Amino acid sequence: MLELKPMLSALWRNKASALLIALQLALTLAIISNIVVIVQDRIEKIERPTGITVEDIIALNFMAIPQNYDMTGAIAADLELLRALPYVKDATVTNQVPLSQSGSAGTFYTQPNQEIGGENSNYYNTDPHFIDTLGLNLVAGRNFTDAEIQFSDPNESPEIAVALVTQQFAEKLYPGQDPIGKPLFDGSGSNPIEIIGVVERHLGAWVGWSNAGNVAFFPSIKNTQDTNYLIRTEPGKRDQVLKALVQKLSERDPQRVIKTKVLSEYVARSYARDNLMVKVLSIVAAMLSFIVALGIVGLTIFWINQRAKQIGVRRALGATRTNISRYFLLENSLIAGTGIAIGSAAALIVNQSMVRDYSQPELTLMPLAICALLVLLVSLAAALTPAIRAANISPATATRSV
Amino acid sequence: MFGYYISLALRSLRGTPVLSALMIAAIAVGVGASMTVLTLNYMMSQNALEHKDDVLYAVQLDSWDVNKAYDSPNELPRQITYRDAQALLRSDIPTRQVAMHRFGFTVELRDSPVLPFTASTRVTTRDFFSLFDVPFIYGGTWEKEADTSATQVVVLSKSTNDKLFSGENSVGKTISLNAEPFTVIGVIDHWQPAPNIHDLNNSHFAQSAKLFIPFGLHREYEIYSWGNTNGWNSERPDGYEGFLQGENIWIQYWVELSSSEQKGQYEDFLTAYIRGEKAQGRFERPLKFALSKPSEWLVLNEVLSDDNRVLGWVSLAFLLVCVINAVALLLAKFLRKAPEAGVRRALGASRSAIFTQHLIESAAIGMIGGIAGIFIAVLGISGIRHLAMGQMDTVATMDWVMMIAAVGLALIASLLAGFYPAWRISRTNPSIYLKTQ
Amino acid sequence: MLKMNNVRKSFRTDTIETHALRDFSLEVKEGEFVSVTGPSGSGKTTFLNIAGLLEPPTGGEYLLDGDDVSNLNDRQRSHLRNEKIGFIFQGFNLIPDLTLFDNIDVPLRYRGFSAKERRKRIEKVLEQVGLSARAKHLPAQLSGGQQQRIAIARALAGEPRFLLADEPTGNLDSLMARQVMELLEFINEWGTTIVMVTHDPELARRAHRNIQIVDGQVCDLRAVPEQPAAVSV
Repeated sequence: MLELKPMLSALWRNKASALLIALQLALTLAIISNIVVIVQDRIEKIERPTGITVEDIIALNFMAIPQNYDMTGAIAADLELLRALPYVKDATVTNQVPLSQSGSAGTFYTQPNQEIGGENSNYYNTDPHFIDTLGLNLVAGRNFTDAEIQFSDPNESPEIAVALVTQQFAEKLYPGQDPIGKPLFDGSGSNPIEIIGVVERHLGAWVGWSNAGNVAFFPSIKNTQDTNYLIRTEPGKRDQVLKALVQKLSERDPQRVIKTKVLSEYVARSYARDNLMVKVLSIVAAMLSFIVALGIVGLTIFWINQRAKQIGVRRALGATRTNISRYFLLENSLIAGTGIAIGSAAALIVNQSMVRDYSQPELTLMPLAICALLVLLVSLAAALTPAIRAANISPATATRSV
Repeated sequence: MFGYYISLALRSLRGTPVLSALMIAAIAVGVGASMTVLTLNYMMSQNALEHKDDVLYAVQLDSWDVNKAYDSPNELPRQITYRDAQALLRSDIPTRQVAMHRFGFTVELRDSPVLPFTASTRVTTRDFFSLFDVPFIYGGTWEKEADTSATQVVVLSKSTNDKLFSGENSVGKTISLNAEPFTVIGVIDHWQPAPNIHDLNNSHFAQSAKLFIPFGLHREYEIYSWGNTNGWNSERPDGYEGFLQGENIWIQYWVELSSSEQKGQYEDFLTAYIRGEKAQGRFERPLKFALSKPSEWLVLNEVLSDDNRVLGWVSLAFLLVCVINAVALLLAKFLRKAPEAGVRRALGASRSAIFTQHLIESAAIGMIGGIAGIFIAVLGISGIRHLAMGQMDTVATMDWVMMIAAVGLALIASLLAGFYPAWRISRTNPSIYLKTQ
Repeated sequence: MLKMNNVRKSFRTDTIETHALRDFSLEVKEGEFVSVTGPSGSGKTTFLNIAGLLEPPTGGEYLLDGDDVSNLNDRQRSHLRNEKIGFIFQGFNLIPDLTLFDNIDVPLRYRGFSAKERRKRIEKVLEQVGLSARAKHLPAQLSGGQQQRIAIARALAGEPRFLLADEPTGNLDSLMARQVMELLEFINEWGTTIVMVTHDPELARRAHRNIQIVDGQVCDLRAVPEQPAAVSV
C-alpha cells in the first residue's frame, strides 16, 4: 500500500525542512565515506607486520662524555655484559633504532660506477646478533659472522664485503632472481658488496617512507661519540630488565649518559600521527552521525506533533498503527534516499580533490555503498521512535475541536 | 526593546528545553570540533618571524645531483654544504647572516650535584641571536673570530641555566661539554618559536636548543649534524676534512637583507658565486637558487601537512552539518510558534520586529553554544596533545584569540542558522493563524 | 445497526476518576437518522468516539451490525472504521498538505482498493458534492462549506453503512449549514444510517429521532429539547 504521490506532494509542501534533512544526510555521507577510506588506509598502515617482536625489545642510547672515547672497546664489553644479564635473550649494536623515525639511507646499484637507476634503501650498521635480537626470519643464505665486522672511524668509508637484505629490497634489485651471491654497490662506488642472506621482512627506520621495507644490513661498527643497543628479553621480563640495565652499564663505565626507551614506545610515536588521524576522524564521524540522528529525531517529532491532528484523522478513517509508522518511515526513506543520492555524488567529487591535493586514498564504490547503507540505517533508526510514537496518537484526536 | 527581545528569547528557550538543548549541543559540538582542529592549524601556521618577514631570507642553492632534481616543492635542497656556507659567510652584503645546524653534547658541571646529561646544541654564527631576535638575560653573543676559529665559549638557554646555576648570572663560569671546558658568555631568555621556523629539518615542533656554540669549532671536535645530512655523491676524500669539503648538505643558512637594493646585490653575488663554482666543475645543474621569506619558508617545508588540511576541511564540513541541523530545528521551533507571531503581528509588531526577535533567539543559542564549544575545544586539544605523544606540545594550546574566535564562530554560525527560519516566520501571513481553530 | 448496553467510559488522571459515560444504553436501527444533543461536557464526544470505534469503552457491550465490537484490538477496530463507518468532523479535518482528490483518497488507500476503483469512487463522490472542478485544489483554497462538503465526500467514498457526524455545521454560517444538512438528508434517504452530534436544536429536530445526553447518560429518547443548548467551542 504505497502512497508515494500524495506523500511526495506533502513533502513538497514542507520542502524546506525535508531538504535540510536531506542536505545533512548528503554532507554526512560525503564526509563519512571519505573518512572511512582514510581511516581504513591508516589502520592498514599501522597494522603492517613489522617483522619484529616489538614488545620484548629495549632500545638503549648512550653518549660518551669524553672526547676521543674508545667506543669499539666499550661496545664489546657492554654487549658481553648485556648478553650475560638474566632474562636477556640477546643484544646487538646498531647505528639506528628500528621504527624510530631516525636513521640512514642510501642509493644502491647492481652495477659499479653508476649514477642513475639506483634503489633507495634504509641501512643498518650492526653485528651478527641483530637477526636474533629482533627475531627476524632469515629465509635464504646465511647470517654474517663476527669476523666479517668492519670497525671504522666516523669519517672513514669501511670496506664492507657482505650484506643481508630484505626480501622486498632483493626483489627490487634482482626481480625474479636468486639474490644470494649477487653484488650490491653503495652509491657510485666500485666496491662490490655480496648479498649473503635474505630476511623475510623488516620495515626499517621510517614507517611513513615510500620505500619502507627496503632495508640492507652491513656488518659494520663505527667509532662514534654515541651509539645504540637493542636488547631482547624473555617475554614479559622487559620491564624488569629495563630497571637493572642502566645501573649495570653505568657501573661498568660511568663516563657516559645513558637513555633507554622500550621499542613499543618508538613504534607508538612513529604512528602517532596516523593514530591521531584515525582517532580524530573516527570521533568526528561518530559525532556527525549522532548529531544528524538527533536532528532527524527532533525534526520528526516536531513534524509528528504538527501533524498529530491529521494522524488522528487518518486513524479515524481506518489507518492502522502500522500504516502510520510505515508512512513516516517511508517518508524518512524518501528523504534519506535523496540525501544519499546527492551525498554519493558529493563524496566522489570531494574524494577527487582529496586524492589530487592531499594525497589521500581513493574512494571506491564498495565503501561508498556501505557508508550509504549506514547513513540510511542511522536515518531510519532515528525516525523509528518518533514513528512509533506517531502510531500511538489516539484516533479520538480527530474529534477534539481545538 | 532589545532587552525585551532577550527576555523573550530566554523564555522561549526555557519553554522548549529539549529542543533548545539539542540546538545548543549541535552548535557547541560543531564549534568545539572545528575550533580544536582550526586552533591546531592556526598554531602550526604561526610565523614567529612575521615582524621580520620582509628582511629575512632562507638561502637555497642548487648544488644537487646533475641526474636528479632534489625532492622538494621548489626542487632545491633545503640545506647547503659546509663549503658553500663558508663561502657565503665571506660576503659582507647581508646586514646579518647565520649558518647553523643541530648538534648534541654531554653536559657536566664540576662539583655540582647535577648528573651529566645530553643537551641539544645549536652550532651557529654570532648573528644568530640578533637575526632571530633572541633576547639575552645575561651577557651576549661571541666575537666574530669565534665563527671561524675554535673558541670554547657557550650561550645557555634559560632552562639550562636554571638547571645548572639555578637561574643565577653564570657568565664567566665554566661547564664541560663532552668533557671539554667551555666558558659561559651569555644566557638567553625563554625562546621557543612554534613551529620551529629557524630549523624545519628536524621535528617542526621540537624544543629549542639548550646550548649555542660558535661555528668555528667544527674541525676541533669533528662535529657532525644531529639533523638531516643528505648526500648524492659518495666520491669524496677520506677523513673529516673530506666530509667538510664534500657535497653533503647539512647547514641551514639565513640572511637579513634590509632593502630591495641590498637583496639585488646579494642575488648578483650568489649568481657570481655559482658561476665561479661551475667553472670548477661543481653546481652541474642549471643555475638556480632561492631566497625565501619566513612565511614562504613555512609553506616550502610543508609545516601544515596534508593531513592537517584534511582535518581542517573535515571539521569545517562538520560545522556546516551542525549549522544545517540548527537551521532545521530552528525552523521547526519557530514555525510551531507561528500562531504566537500571528498574534504579535495583529497587535502591531512589524515584520522586522518579528525577524529581529527570532534572530536574537538564534544568537542566544549561538552564545551559549560557543561558550560550551570552548570547553569542548580545550578538551579536544588536550586529547590531541595526548595522541601526538608530546610531538605537538608547543602548538597544541589555545590562546585568547582563538577563544574569542570560537565564540565569534558560534555566533556567526547561529546567526546564519537563524536567518532563514526568522525570515520565514516574519513572512507568514498572520490572518491564517487568527481565523478559526 | 448499533446497539449499546450499559456502556461505561471513565478517564483516570493521577488522582481523579471521571466518568464520561455511565450505564449508557442506546439502539440505532438501520437507515435511521439520529441526532444527539446535550450540554457541553455531557459526554457527547465520548459517545461519538466509542460509537465510531475511535476509543474502546471501559465496560459494557457495544454491538455493531450485530457483532460485539467492545473488545476488538486496534487493528480490527481500524479495519471496521475503514469499512463500515464514515466520519464528518466539526473542524472538517482535511489534511492541509494534500489536494482534495488526495484527501478523499486517504481512507480508500487504507481499504486497499485498486487505483482504478479509487479514481472511480473519488470522481463519483466529488460529483455528488458538486466539487468535481476543484479536485486539484488544496483545502486552504476552499470556503468552509466547500471544505465540509469535501469532508462528507471523503466519508462517503468508502460507501459506509454508518455515518457519524460531529457538529457538521458548527463552523458554518446558516446558509452553508442548510446546504450541508440537505446533503446529509439526501445521503440518509439512500440508506446510510446517520448519527449526528449537534447543539443546534433546529438541526436536531430535522432528524428522525433525538437523543439527549446529560451527565453521561441517555436522558430522553423522544422529546426534542425546548431550551437552547449551551454554546460550546
